[in-house]
Amino acid sequence: MARVKVKSFSVIRDVLGSDIIEIDVNKPATVAGLFDELVRQYGQAFKEKIWDPNTGQIAPFLIKVNGSLIRSTSDMDHKIQNGDELAIIFPIGGG
Amino acid sequence: MAKGFPYGGYIGQLLRVNLSNKGIVKEDLREDWARDFVGGVGLSARILYGELPAKTDPLGPENKLIMMTGPVNGTMIPAASRSSFCAKSPYTKSFFHSIFGGFLGPELKFAGYDGLIIEGKADKPVYIWIDDDTVEIRDAGHLWGKDPFTAEDILRKEIGDEEIHIATIGLAGEEKAPYAMILCDIRASGRGGMGAVMGSKNLKAIAIRGTGGVAVPNMLRVYNTAIKINELFATNPSVQGLSGYGTPRNVAAMNEGGILPTRNWQTETFKGMKNITAEAMKEQVVKGDRACFACSINCTKYSVVPRGPYKSIINGADYETIYAFGSLCEVDNIEVLCKADELCDYYGIDLISTGVSIGWAMECYEKGIFTKKDTDGIDLRFGNADGMLTMIEKIGKREGLGELLAKGTRDASKIVGRGTERFAIQNKGLEWPGHTCRPFPACAVGYATGPRGGSHHDIRPTAEKSGLVDRKVLEGKGAVAAEVNHWLILGDSMLICHLGEPIWGPLKISDSMINALNAVTGWELDYERARKIAEREWNMIRCFAAREGFTREDDRLPIRFMEEPVPEGPMQGSLITKETLERLKDDYFSYRGWDLKTGNPTKQKLSELGLDFAAKDIC
Repeated sequence: MARVKVKSFSVIRDVLGSDIIEIDVNKPATVAGLFDELVRQYGQAFKEKIWDPNTGQIAPFLIKVNGSLIRSTSDMDHKIQNGDELAIIFPIGGG
Repeated sequence: MAKGFPYGGYIGQLLRVNLSNKGIVKEDLREDWARDFVGGVGLSARILYGELPAKTDPLGPENKLIMMTGPVNGTMIPAASRSSFCAKSPYTKSFFHSIFGGFLGPELKFAGYDGLIIEGKADKPVYIWIDDDTVEIRDAGHLWGKDPFTAEDILRKEIGDEEIHIATIGLAGEEKAPYAMILCDIRASGRGGMGAVMGSKNLKAIAIRGTGGVAVPNMLRVYNTAIKINELFATNPSVQGLSGYGTPRNVAAMNEGGILPTRNWQTETFKGMKNITAEAMKEQVVKGDRACFACSINCTKYSVVPRGPYKSIINGADYETIYAFGSLCEVDNIEVLCKADELCDYYGIDLISTGVSIGWAMECYEKGIFTKKDTDGIDLRFGNADGMLTMIEKIGKREGLGELLAKGTRDASKIVGRGTERFAIQNKGLEWPGHTCRPFPACAVGYATGPRGGSHHDIRPTAEKSGLVDRKVLEGKGAVAAEVNHWLILGDSMLICHLGEPIWGPLKISDSMINALNAVTGWELDYERARKIAEREWNMIRCFAAREGFTREDDRLPIRFMEEPVPEGPMQGSLITKETLERLKDDYFSYRGWDLKTGNPTKQKLSELGLDFAAKDIC
């Protein structure tokens, strides 16, 4: 199990209820596992902020893991460890 | 449809007003040009290419200012509220399109016109009053010198109709300040000095009242298309946050990602970010939401600072305000940013160019290039909020240092010299919006080759910024940039809002965009045909620039982005070197079938696109 911190913004932060939350991720201890856990705990309200129902895919965005950026579209099997700090860099579209 | 025009969505009529001889002519819209260029920007580019000789003085009576709509405007297709002002720009010296939302475009169609072509120059200040079929050039002596809000109030009372829609210039437009804008209802045609072109014609305002409608071939089809697009907007994760927070929804996320331009782009992380986020704005100043015509996204926020030194009422602040006056100038007070936005509207100046010019001046000051003697006693350090606001007023009045900054960073840095051009954040003369390219190669080549220079609406950073496309790969980025160009320019010809990006694009012209166009017009375009229209439009604009003498050499980036890597944060070390840029340009020009040496469209490409007439000018 990995206990990690997750930072979020705007509409996602509204669903998670705080700028930073701590969450336990069981198996698999990956970024995908983290998002599954977030959906399990926060339900549809979270899912609809992240998944596009029209494509059935997770939206494209960057995730910061301990200062480095990975992509939701290709790096969801990235391993996470106890104490990791993640940030969901989304929404991010231009003005 | 209307007046025998064969395609839905169009009125089939253009209004041409000559301010020199007071001529008012209603002329037929060419059917072939509607098919080949759709409307909006594409159609305006075709008209101006034909009617403006090369080297036309942008501020002379021979320049023309076109307000053009697109076929979807005035229908229920969501986010189809927009309209365009196009002209040869006094700022960038080539074709320029400045798009705005609100209600003015649909109103022009309801009055019975697809577009308004303004030519010549009035011998004294005037405004144009369009009341359905009745069009008048009226005296505006009593409006000259008035700010846009006051001028609009006077016009509404004078005309006796609260529901008219108005485009107005401020003091800056009257003075032909290079980056003067046109205020249009709740939005603005902000960029490229379209307000200066309007002012050069002694035209203070355009007021419109239309009571007609827009005919479509199959209302049920348009209805079903609108329903589907509204559903996509409502459920797409990238669009959703716009309703609640507006465009500033990305401020905090961008800062976390290390891509929030700060301190005149010396870095891309702002320590005072917390006070200027969408969340801070919502908590402190936002009083309500506003939407443009037929739009379900609702991104505009209505904000009020009710008391104190920064008392103001604005439609905003948008992300670009927060960037240009916030992180860029290191001002971390949302009330100040509201005041800055209001002052730009009051004087009628483009807020991006204003903020970036002040950011440049702040860097000049901190480097000792400017002293208090140059700044009229202002301690113009980064973070000096009151100094920044005073400088906006000085730019608006063209007073003291404001006279220099009103020229924009390209010309100002040429005058000042001493290496200041190295941190003038512009290309082709246009200051940059708040979207970086240093970590994003497709975005970089898009900015460099874009017709307007520093415009995030000739390219979008979103594909690489979201990870949809791998930012670390150079190969294939010419194609990415070109296909993003295509959905943007087709959108600017239909005149739909780019904030529906995930639905209209984001990587190429989407089915949703084609469906909307087909439903309204009755056309049955497939992807290839829609793409060819977009490619024709993009090439037409490139031909305009080439005829003015622009070449590959003009496709540059701000020097800072090629020489100074991002110094901190997750994008630390990112930059686009000159060598990388040249490689990207080769890739882009090859993909487009343009001449690698000149960067111009080739004869063969022009022939493919039905633009043979331009070959004699540029090949």
